[in-house]
Amino acid sequence: MSERPISARRLWWLAAGFAVWCSALVALYALHAIGCAFAWSSGSLRLGLAVVLFVHLIVIGWMWRDITRAAADPDFGPTGTFLHWTVTWTLITALVATAINFGPPLLLATCI
Amino acid sequence: MSEPVEPLPQGPPALRLHRELAAIWATGPGLQRLAAVNHSVIGMRMMITSFTFFAIAGVLGMLTRVQLATPNAAFMDPETYNQVFTMHGSMMLFLFAIPMVESFAVYLTPKILGTRDFAFPRLTAYGYWCYLFGGTILTVSLIAGVAPNSGWFMYTPLSSNVYTPGINADVWLLGVTFVEISALSLAVEIVVSILKVRAPGMSLDRMPIFGWYILVTALMMVVAFPPLILGSILLEIERAFGLPFFDPTRGGDPLLWQHLFWLFGHPDVYIIFLPMAGALSTIIPVFAGRPLVGYRAIVVAIVALAFLSFGIWVHHMFTVGIPHLALAFFSAGSAIVAAPTAVQIFAWLATLAHGKPRWSVPMLYVFGFFFIFVMGGLTGVMLAMVPFDWQAHDTYFVVAHMHYVVAGALAFPMLAAFYYWLPLLTGRTAVHRLSVPAFWLVFVGFNLTFFMMHLTGLLGMPRRIYTYQGNEGWNWLNLLSSVGGFVMTIGFALVVIDLFVQLRYGRRVRRNPWGAATLEWAMSIPPAPYAFASIPHLTRSDAIAPDDLALSLARGEGYLGFTRNGWQETLGVNMTTGEPEQLIVLPQPTYLPLFTALATAAAVLTLLFKFYLLALVVALVTAGMFVVSANRAGLARDFGPMPVGQGVNLPPHTEVAEAPAWLALICTLVADGTLFTSLLFGTFYLWIAAPNWPAAITPEPSRMLALVAVATLVVAAAAARGSLRAVATGSRARGWIGLAVLALLAAIAAAVGQIVGVAPHPREHALGATAAALLGYVALHAGIGLLFLVSNFLRIGAGFIASRRVLDLRLTRLWLDYTLVTGVIAMGLVLALPALVTMLAARP
Repeated sequence: MSERPISARRLWWLAAGFAVWCSALVALYALHAIGCAFAWSSGSLRLGLAVVLFVHLIVIGWMWRDITRAAADPDFGPTGTFLHWTVTWTLITALVATAINFGPPLLLATCI
Repeated sequence: MSEPVEPLPQGPPALRLHRELAAIWATGPGLQRLAAVNHSVIGMRMMITSFTFFAIAGVLGMLTRVQLATPNAAFMDPETYNQVFTMHGSMMLFLFAIPMVESFAVYLTPKILGTRDFAFPRLTAYGYWCYLFGGTILTVSLIAGVAPNSGWFMYTPLSSNVYTPGINADVWLLGVTFVEISALSLAVEIVVSILKVRAPGMSLDRMPIFGWYILVTALMMVVAFPPLILGSILLEIERAFGLPFFDPTRGGDPLLWQHLFWLFGHPDVYIIFLPMAGALSTIIPVFAGRPLVGYRAIVVAIVALAFLSFGIWVHHMFTVGIPHLALAFFSAGSAIVAAPTAVQIFAWLATLAHGKPRWSVPMLYVFGFFFIFVMGGLTGVMLAMVPFDWQAHDTYFVVAHMHYVVAGALAFPMLAAFYYWLPLLTGRTAVHRLSVPAFWLVFVGFNLTFFMMHLTGLLGMPRRIYTYQGNEGWNWLNLLSSVGGFVMTIGFALVVIDLFVQLRYGRRVRRNPWGAATLEWAMSIPPAPYAFASIPHLTRSDAIAPDDLALSLARGEGYLGFTRNGWQETLGVNMTTGEPEQLIVLPQPTYLPLFTALATAAAVLTLLFKFYLLALVVALVTAGMFVVSANRAGLARDFGPMPVGQGVNLPPHTEVAEAPAWLALICTLVADGTLFTSLLFGTFYLWIAAPNWPAAITPEPSRMLALVAVATLVVAAAAARGSLRAVATGSRARGWIGLAVLALLAAIAAAVGQIVGVAPHPREHALGATAAALLGYVALHAGIGLLFLVSNFLRIGAGFIASRRVLDLRLTRLWLDYTLVTGVIAMGLVLALPALVTMLAARP
């Protein structure tokens, strides 16, 4: 019980990576729907989608780098180490999921 | 089964403590049983109720198999068949699967987490009664011949007024929504309890993996149910009042229903699967004789699974005409979701491979699960591929896949868990001569029934047809499916017989018969109503040894190994480290949950029979009962830190900032926010996808009224802060509360005034209907804010709110802040609607 208490807010980080993945899904699906509804050209729609995806990948990558740089604080004890590990791996998983989930589909025909 | 059959551990201290605690925690006899709020009692009732609905739904499934066993069968007419298969699916999903996993969670979670009860026992009881009454309404409709008949996912326009003019669809919409209130309230209860009410020392990294699974599942429920609740409300409003959200002739879109339904429907598969996976992750290490491999990886996997499962709802809609690029997002997601599932499967296999597995009845079902789930998982990946899905869509292949993943992946772990934890419930062990043949009958029957459906599906048999000609090549496959269904039913019947034989003749077992290392076995079996005579303290160095721990806990050597003031006490802990933070005083048994659920049922029934004014009155009575329920909750004076044992003094939950109710309101607002977001999604979806929007009359919302609504909501939020500050400094807060009441009344008047002036009229076009829905949302939340304020007023008068006990006022402030934020967004969108319609006119 000598561990320093960890703020409950830290738990939100467990969801942070996949929250960005959700944001990517919503933004890409919405942008695609709007682009097709308003008959944007295929090139500009694809470019818009690629930019949105890239921004989301950057955000998750930045979060991953931020977490990795701040090594687990030993004052927080094993619970802190556990949370650091799980947060890091949820970020990595979210990054991979975002890239695989949304990257290749952008090569397809846009509005058929 | 509330009295332990096993002799209590040595000595008078344990016996005396047991008697004192039992006198406080036990549910009374006779009619007092209706006042039960204890998690063991409610969990057991939920289990029995869910298995009763399972039996009814199973019989309905058998009836469909009788009908389809031979071609041109006249066993049922088409209308009866429609009702039977719709109710089979609806009951299995909404009245069995979800409540059954929740019943496991309710009964087991506090025990596995080393605590005495959940944080809100009255909410547990209310959830149960809502479930029972909602399920009863649906069941009675079947007997009355007016059961839902549009399929378990109630697609519009089939379920709309034009094609289903009777009350069949209303029964589903209102009954299922009623049951979902239960599921949602229990989900909030479970999230808060797992995070705040654990054994001291149980940090998140030491929490049994079952706790993680149930926590993630409950969080998924908090987010998954609101879209369907919104969809059901909108469809019921369309059916009752003619607002055309799903009617394409008036600017609505039937596909909006599909989106809202599957935003719930797909995560629901994992909501059912994850608790069962939690049971497997608990059982497999016990029988492998070694700790679970990859605890951390599994935690990451289930977090990933929870999110990914929300992002693939469109794979149920591959054939509706969505462009390929968008389909590919969901196709890829549907394949990716297999990865975190595979992490769990490999962790279980590795645990078995590195341990020394011993075979017993639960392990038979674990084996059955592996076989079934891999089959279902692989056909799932096949269906995730768009070209294959187009071929197999709406055929029996999908029915087969669905039963392998939802029925098989639920039934086999459920039965493994059933045999594993039954000694905890009964104090006896199963009769192997019955349970082993029962397994083989279920396993063989299941595969015979559902494997054949893959083949009939690939041969082109559409789902939901009530008969067939006999020249399609499906005859023998259907006959085998039906035979398999009966074999499986005989297996389940044998399980039931086994249960009764076990209760009567099963061999009595010592505590912890499987040699597990989780806390539910560190108590007398069957468990006493207080669960633990004293609450354990977990240290990082020791593995949990239930046999040793049980004796010391029964002697009162843990926390709270005494009684005080006749209170039902347990401990609240820090969410991450598990350090004890507060003494939680739980409410005693009360009839209020039952009466409140009865009032809610009355509101549902009056809506069903279209007595709308009466429904409004009953809804107000129900709301009033919630205020009454809250009125005497908590403690009416300051106590300061009190001893809880082990030399520790803690303040009661009424005097701390991080009380469970605070977290509960946050969870509720997350659910509410999801519903609001779904409403925004619906508005934008109709704007961009529904026909006839550019032709609609351009609305002219009143900017003045919108401004008044927002300004008054700002005043209400500020007044809530004023009342909090006043009470905290010992001043009177009634003036602030009065100001907030006036502000909210003005906000409601402004919102209602806008609804009255909405153009086009909400019945004429979905544009007006969505505007009315957004404004109605604001008015409703301001109205609920009034209930908060009334409660504050009464509780200040009764002495429950004072300078050190300001939680109620903080909750009110949070609610009014939320109402303000959503109010600004809703008003902003309503004001933006004219511009959005104008944009559509410029579309090529």
